[in-house]
Amino acid sequence: MLYLELLIQGLIHGSMYAVIAVGLTLVYGLLRILHVAHAGLFALGGYLGLLITNATTSLPLGMFTSAIVVGICGMLMYRLCYQPILDRPPYVALIASIGLFIAMEEIFRLVFGPYGLTYKNPPLQSQINLMGITLRSAEVGMVISALILLGILAYLSQRTRIGIAWRATVDDPEISKSFGIDTIKVRYLNFFIGSALAAVAGVFISLLSNLVEPTMGGVPSYKALAIIVLGGLGNVTGTLIASLLLGVVEAFGTIYIGSFLDRDAIAFAFLIVILMIRPQGLFAGK
Amino acid sequence: MGIYEISLATVVCINIILALGLNMISGFCGQISLGHAAFYGIGAYTAALMVKAGFPIPLTIAAGMISAGVAGLIVGLASLRVRHDFLAITTMGVGFLFLGIVRQQELLGGELGISGIPSAGLGKIGYLAVVFAIASLSAVFSLWIKRSWMGFAFDAVADDEDTARVVTVDVGAYKLAAFAMGTAMAGVAGGLYTYFARFLMPDDFGFITSITVLSMVAVGGIGSVFGVIAATIILTLMPEFFRFISDYKLLVYGALLFAVMRFAPEGLAGFARDAYRRLTVKKQAGETV
Amino acid sequence: MGALLEVSGITVRFGGVTALKEVSFQVNAGEFLCLIGPNGAGKTTLMRAVTGIIKPDAGRVKLDGRDISHRPTHERARLGLALTHQIVRPFRSMTVLDNVALAAGYQRFHHILKAMGSVDRSAERQRARKYLELVGIEDVADKSVVGQPLGVAKRLEVARALALEPKILLLDEPLAGLNSVEAARLADTITGINRDGLTVIMIEHNLGEVLRVSQRLVVLDNGRKIADGLPMEVIQNPSVRAAYVGKESQHAAA
Repeated sequence: MLYLELLIQGLIHGSMYAVIAVGLTLVYGLLRILHVAHAGLFALGGYLGLLITNATTSLPLGMFTSAIVVGICGMLMYRLCYQPILDRPPYVALIASIGLFIAMEEIFRLVFGPYGLTYKNPPLQSQINLMGITLRSAEVGMVISALILLGILAYLSQRTRIGIAWRATVDDPEISKSFGIDTIKVRYLNFFIGSALAAVAGVFISLLSNLVEPTMGGVPSYKALAIIVLGGLGNVTGTLIASLLLGVVEAFGTIYIGSFLDRDAIAFAFLIVILMIRPQGLFAGK
Repeated sequence: MGIYEISLATVVCINIILALGLNMISGFCGQISLGHAAFYGIGAYTAALMVKAGFPIPLTIAAGMISAGVAGLIVGLASLRVRHDFLAITTMGVGFLFLGIVRQQELLGGELGISGIPSAGLGKIGYLAVVFAIASLSAVFSLWIKRSWMGFAFDAVADDEDTARVVTVDVGAYKLAAFAMGTAMAGVAGGLYTYFARFLMPDDFGFITSITVLSMVAVGGIGSVFGVIAATIILTLMPEFFRFISDYKLLVYGALLFAVMRFAPEGLAGFARDAYRRLTVKKQAGETV
Repeated sequence: MGALLEVSGITVRFGGVTALKEVSFQVNAGEFLCLIGPNGAGKTTLMRAVTGIIKPDAGRVKLDGRDISHRPTHERARLGLALTHQIVRPFRSMTVLDNVALAAGYQRFHHILKAMGSVDRSAERQRARKYLELVGIEDVADKSVVGQPLGVAKRLEVARALALEPKILLLDEPLAGLNSVEAARLADTITGINRDGLTVIMIEHNLGEVLRVSQRLVVLDNGRKIADGLPMEVIQNPSVRAAYVGKESQHAAA
């Protein structure tokens, strides 16, 4: 039973990682930028979701508005911060992104206070019993929405014109341009979707712990970076598998080697070991 | 100089050693490291354990230098396997791994850290003199390396590894050398910090510290020794001199890091170069008229 | 004259595609060999396998009787294989002169501790200037390589390779992108260097120049060697005409 429980806990965390990391890997696939500030958008999503939910008492409204607003912020971030430095060496965008993330964290701290905010009436806190394992409805909700969102994303990218244009652009921007695809529009779309997904993940995390705080983006963001590297940078399927895998490895790791390494260190030890064996990630990029 | 000024100057000098170490790896050799604080920490903890065991100051600092350098050599081996963005994330992972291990080790004081470290016994001024001398030595060493054939080969590795190989540069060996030297410098800085702070906490060596050091290098102009020194002095003193900034220290760091990369990616050094060029052009124009 | 370079049975696969299949050839000391073949025949891949930039799935490379199949690129380069890239790759942070001076100092940075100890670059810069003069770009010596026209960059590649004082110069389309005057001049320079005793292997599409300068041709098609011999004989070979000239005329028609 313990194994099953650990496995399920791992998959729950993994599904959250997946929703965050997919946005990162989309940005990397398209622009070759390690978009650290993605985690700032994730935290912003958490804050907005909580504030709107508290103001309107409607979680769906809070989550939806948060996703839209954060999606637009993502597009603005691309336009104002990344687009002008795309032709610089890669470390320029990386360092700029880290700076942006730190500044965002500090703005959250200064505006909303250092101790974080909580829900007035925390939604989705009821217990659900599933095959003898007790889960909270927020956990179940997170897994289900992760499946739905990623399912929609997969459908869009396979079946719609814009999705096909997007995949073509990731494969080869030059050729896509010559086929008349508006690659700039694809980039905006990319940032919108990735950021909106991060916002949804942010809202769910805030539900799980009934807390949003300035530093909430930190640890998930570093792990999301580890995940997209594991998944083979820019490889979406690889990212999803790596997310679930990392969730499970962490869950088992905390039980068996938790006295030696904490949860985050386990994640990075796993990353380093895998990279030494397969330097191109578990699933090679294109 | 009052006690406050002396301790500020000491911190500045320690940071200069630390930043010049990272500049060796990221600036000269082009290998971005997001885990430099881990080596700073390895040096500091090694020195602290040695002090507690009763070893005298030159030995403790040397031990910090060697342990950090050896750890750096191992991470350097990783840099031979993974490249560019993969390496940046791997070094970030090394930083978290270090912190994770330190937090769980009784021997290293866990979350509570190591306290009650005796002073170096040189007096505040005397200790500053030692730290200043080592910082100056680091600067001279950096300038020498930049001018040497080693620095020339580093330039090639930083520019284009594949082409460097074609002109017979042993890219792996040079990367290892950069990591070993840069992390050994971080180890020295860590050892010096141990005697200065006399109290170590895991969080002193976390991701934020790595980023702070990286911002000193990036704001100064990656690869420029004088730029990095100037940026280190400015970034270390700024929150102290403008007290009102203190509360916004990280905000300023983050914003500055972003702004420099967004608007002047070559940092202070690039800024100075442009200003100089403009000045000389004007002068020449003036002469022809 | 014994074989200076002996390449045998080189096979390279990328994923499921066989880029080179059991290619063997020899180069004698002092020879000027041209490697030709239609686009995608595997010429550049073969050069990269010989210099160790890619690891072939099978095959051996011997230089001066010494098996170098398992040596990394930088060691092969030091042993005497100097390569120029088809797509130019200068060190972008350096001046034109320093690009060559670095290569000219290959003995300086061979031992890492010695490299740490020596700072004087003047002798290497002087030698570098000579190589720049040789290929005719000495007037931009002190300029940054960024923004130099392709003609300069291509000649810089050749100068940098020469500065390594190699036993064999491997040139990957050194003339592509040059105008006819520049191309003829660089081809003459290379021929001159070859006459002074340096062995040259050159990949080239410019058939006129190839026939003018080369002493022997090796022809690749679809990753296989289909001909090897004197230029005039090879060019008459029906299978070469079918594979190479046929496709060329298609290109011309297209």
